Amino acid sequence: MASTKLGFPLKGIFKGMGITLVTLFKPTPTVNYPVVKERPTERARGVIALDTDACTSCMLCARECPDWCIYIEGHKEEIQPDKPGGRVKTRAKLDRFDIDFALCMYCGICVEVCPFDALFWTPEYEYSEHKISDLLHDKDKLTEWLATVPTPPALEAS
Amino acid sequence: MSTLDQSGTVHISDASISVELETPGMTLNIGPQHPSTHGVLRLVAQVDGERVSSLEPMIGYMHRGYEKLVEVRNYAQIITLINRIDWTAGYANEVPFVVAVERLTEIEAPDRAQYIRVILTEMTRISAHLLFLSSFPLELGASTPLMYAVRDREYVLELLESVTGGRFHPNFNRVGGVKPVAGGGSTTKKQSQDLPAGFIAATNAMVKRLRGTCVTFDGLVTGNEVFLARTKGVGIITPDHVHQYGISGPNARASGVGFDVRKHEAYLPYDKFDFAIPTETDGDCFSRYAVRLAEIRESLKIIEQAVNDLPGGPLRSKVPRILKVPAGEIYVRGENPKGEMGYYIVSEGGRIPYRVKIRTASYSNLAVLPELMNGALLPDLVAILGSLDFVLGDVDR
Repeated sequence: MASTKLGFPLKGIFKGMGITLVTLFKPTPTVNYPVVKERPTERARGVIALDTDACTSCMLCARECPDWCIYIEGHKEEIQPDKPGGRVKTRAKLDRFDIDFALCMYCGICVEVCPFDALFWTPEYEYSEHKISDLLHDKDKLTEWLATVPTPPALEAS
Repeated sequence: MSTLDQSGTVHISDASISVELETPGMTLNIGPQHPSTHGVLRLVAQVDGERVSSLEPMIGYMHRGYEKLVEVRNYAQIITLINRIDWTAGYANEVPFVVAVERLTEIEAPDRAQYIRVILTEMTRISAHLLFLSSFPLELGASTPLMYAVRDREYVLELLESVTGGRFHPNFNRVGGVKPVAGGGSTTKKQSQDLPAGFIAATNAMVKRLRGTCVTFDGLVTGNEVFLARTKGVGIITPDHVHQYGISGPNARASGVGFDVRKHEAYLPYDKFDFAIPTETDGDCFSRYAVRLAEIRESLKIIEQAVNDLPGGPLRSKVPRILKVPAGEIYVRGENPKGEMGYYIVSEGGRIPYRVKIRTASYSNLAVLPELMNGALLPDLVAILGSLDFVLGDVDR
């Protein structure tokens, strides 16, 4: 039920056409993706990197994860003292650290709760797979991402 | 009157039929996978020709059970889940929940954090309304506004991403302030997750740019005769409907009900900013479009004021590492881009809420659809559905 009659000479339509004509001569904002790559901001939550040396397999991240997509296995190793009579130290050894990125919600709680700075966000995003099971990144794959961790951006003065 | 041609036969188009033909109504199933329904909404319409005699929305295809899911998760984990209720406005979903938990635990977020919340909420509102400005004309057959709105929405989303790290699901709120640190470890503990350098300048540039977008839309869509013919006088929501169905947000304001949670409840320091609540009186599809376009302008005003007198200071109050919320119950609502969004939290003390009732705007806004479609034309369904601007995740949650 149109209450408005189409007026002649369709002023509004021609005005819109004028706007599109002006835009035609403006530079395009899109990026030719596989050739030209966009760099996300440093804080972008692309993929999680793991520092295996820092990790003590304390399971805090796995416990706090809202959809429980982190799988950790570890064992305690005894380090024999250098000198005779010294104390035997125990050290946590990480056996398995998997993140299932098919389940991950990219919330960053694991990075936030880690008390030993073992997890980092990196803005890398090109890791799509043909098989959903390949999205489970193991310890070695997560360590590879560590090289792409950017330095945190400078902050606005407060 | 029948006319005889030369052969003496009566032409069928000239024959007059004196019998009243039985033309039973037809049941038309629309959806659940229909592009104009914004997701998985099924509509069962009784149509008589082009006219809809009754229409019933069948919802529930997007039900993900949020109210149950949050009963087995702690408060920090819930914040990341409720981002996904209305995915066009993830940040605006978090704020009322976090404010509710803060009121229960009697922790107050510092001023700077409150201002950052205001800035990011309004950015989310702009991006959600730009999505509406792109999809609504598209459903009426205009594909150019889609390109323009999505192009300019990217400037807003880039800013959101530079602060929060996420374009759609920011997950930037924490009880007592904003996301505190990049990590809880010994070296990263001291780094605060403040606004990145250059954010204020970039925001001011974005505000200027989006003011231009509003002018472009005025020229491109608002005055377009075809758009006016499709939307003026179509799908009128009266103020009575607003009160009966609990419609809120831009849909209510398009009908002349000037209710806005931002002005009525101090869930964020909105009283410090000078902005108007745009209202229209017609209540038709065009008014709902006009209100949203005007709201973008008002949101830009708020962002400009908030960014330029951003207070200094800490970003987060002292919050215990294991947050336990004392027993009690509270309802806090906020102004989502779609309307009033509220959380009713019942806590029995502990890390996990006993029950959370989520009130979403789209559910009530969609409920008025049978009323609007009663006697309306089937082609107007697309215009009415588009103008209500609901998200199925927000309806079913």
